[in-house]
Amino acid sequence: MTTPVFEVENLSLHYRLRFGAKVHAVTNVSFTMQPGEILGIAGESGCGKSTLVNGLMGLFIPPLYPSGGDVKVAGESLMNRTPQDIRKNVLSRKVSMIPQGAFNALNPTRRVKDIAADVIAAHEHGVDRASTHVRLLERFKLFFGKDADHVLNSYPIQLTAGERQRSVIGISTLLNPEMVIADEPTSALDVSTQKVVIKMIFDLLDAGIFKTMIFITHELPLLRHVANNIAIMYAGEFVEKGTADQIVFAPKHPYTKALMGAMLSAEPGQKDRKPIAIEGAPPSLAKEIPGCRFSERCPVARPECRTKIQELRMFSDRLVRCDYAE
Amino acid sequence: MKLLRNLLKSPMFVIGTGLFFGTLLFALFAPLILNITMDRVAEAYAAPGSDLLPDAFPKLHRGLWLGADNLGRDYVSLLIRGLRSSLYVGFMAGTIATVLGTLIGIYSGFKGGLVDDILSAITNVFIVLPMFVVLILISASLTEGRSLTLLALMIGGMSWTWSARSVRAQSSALKTRDHIALARINGDGTFAILVKHILPYLASFVFLVFILQIASGILAEAAISMIGLGPLDTQSLGIILNDAKANGALSDGYWWGIFPSTILITTIAFSLYLINTSMEGVFNPRLRRE
Repeated sequence: MTTPVFEVENLSLHYRLRFGAKVHAVTNVSFTMQPGEILGIAGESGCGKSTLVNGLMGLFIPPLYPSGGDVKVAGESLMNRTPQDIRKNVLSRKVSMIPQGAFNALNPTRRVKDIAADVIAAHEHGVDRASTHVRLLERFKLFFGKDADHVLNSYPIQLTAGERQRSVIGISTLLNPEMVIADEPTSALDVSTQKVVIKMIFDLLDAGIFKTMIFITHELPLLRHVANNIAIMYAGEFVEKGTADQIVFAPKHPYTKALMGAMLSAEPGQKDRKPIAIEGAPPSLAKEIPGCRFSERCPVARPECRTKIQELRMFSDRLVRCDYAE
Repeated sequence: MKLLRNLLKSPMFVIGTGLFFGTLLFALFAPLILNITMDRVAEAYAAPGSDLLPDAFPKLHRGLWLGADNLGRDYVSLLIRGLRSSLYVGFMAGTIATVLGTLIGIYSGFKGGLVDDILSAITNVFIVLPMFVVLILISASLTEGRSLTLLALMIGGMSWTWSARSVRAQSSALKTRDHIALARINGDGTFAILVKHILPYLASFVFLVFILQIASGILAEAAISMIGLGPLDTQSLGIILNDAKANGALSDGYWWGIFPSTILITTIAFSLYLINTSMEGVFNPRLRRE
């Protein structure tokens, strides 16, 4: 077995509020990733996906703080390091990210090449403009072919949403990071542009620009096509983690089942099926939750679920956080 | 270029810049053409046989275009000297207030958290301090060394608060933009993000603030000098008013002691407000007209 490229051990993160109050947005998340693996993380809005992403990059911007656990990239811990160190040696180099709403992520007052050149300038000293430009052109040719020069010299407003999206991905992967975290890269795009972006990510994987990826989305059907493994997140915890097919076709945790039931899908035979919304809302994470976090909304909850904390444990072939999963 | 063309379409902008640069050029170049002197000149121009009372303001006539003050000094010379000082105070106080306000505001809004709390608290303390009362108290306590530069420093140091507050609001709204997130992920530090990603957005706003701060600096100096607490080392438009008032120009009807400098102060402030309003109409997309 090869050494894992990414190890997360009991990572907990909290937001600090005024007067000492805390919101425990992410609790005891653990997983490891092998080189070449694509892990999908899914869950509803507000379940802690984006918070987890920041934690995975070691990017703790107040009021976000780590409360425990460890994150290791290629054996190197990201905890207890200065922001300067993280910026210079981790971000973009080891772990990079394709941000949410990426087609808005380019500063409209600057040309694409200046934004891209910043990344190189922030990490490498004494690189001259000419060689930077050659490098950028070479990399952007992968995405844009003969349009590369045009895109680099344009302001973001002069590009289409798809071109901007691809530029952002190009900029984020400029320094060949070991890990790329894609935080809902396609959720604001129309279906055909989504396909282009997904294809581009696969092209990058094939070209060996990066190997390992975490793909975060709330679109489970999409994840099945992209990811090898899927983890389902609810209220800051992983509730189920298995292979893509296991999660999509044979979910075990009541929440995963409910999530799949709420999904609209274009698969054949799904037309007559009505999507079922999950009643209620996730619990507030500012307070201690005594039992299972999903118990309030769970259709099969038993009285003891409200008092007994469920552990994530191996259930024949995958990890599930429910003692009563069948 | 397009910006300039749009600006030139606005009559307010043309009038405002015309008036402002007119006074600026007058203040800068008039001494090259006119003979500026602080000596008593009234007699040299006085019509033979006219009686000059010791404390009266000599009338206007040929060569003494705006009359003279009670000491017989030519008002044109005084006004040019005063105008230069007023503009100097305005620019210096405006620069200090804008730079200070922008730096504090942009940093506090971007950082958030405790830093923001502390800087906002300081800003609020300065906002509730009555600027004019503090200026009077400080000026009155300084019987020596009350210079024009010191006054400009005090005005600038007191009036940065509103710009800090509005810049803070904008910077804290901008920090959640997606491109800031990308810059962070790509390894830019706070300073780089502020300079490259936030300041360009605020540039037009900061420039408008700067114009208003110049105007309020000039007005503040005029007001403080008018009540006799102005700089001791030079003339200023406010000092002219104070001298004229103290020597009875108001009560005895020597209007040339009061009106010219009042009109000059009003013109500068008015032209700056015109420039500000017209520029806002061009910079702000919501106010932009075809």
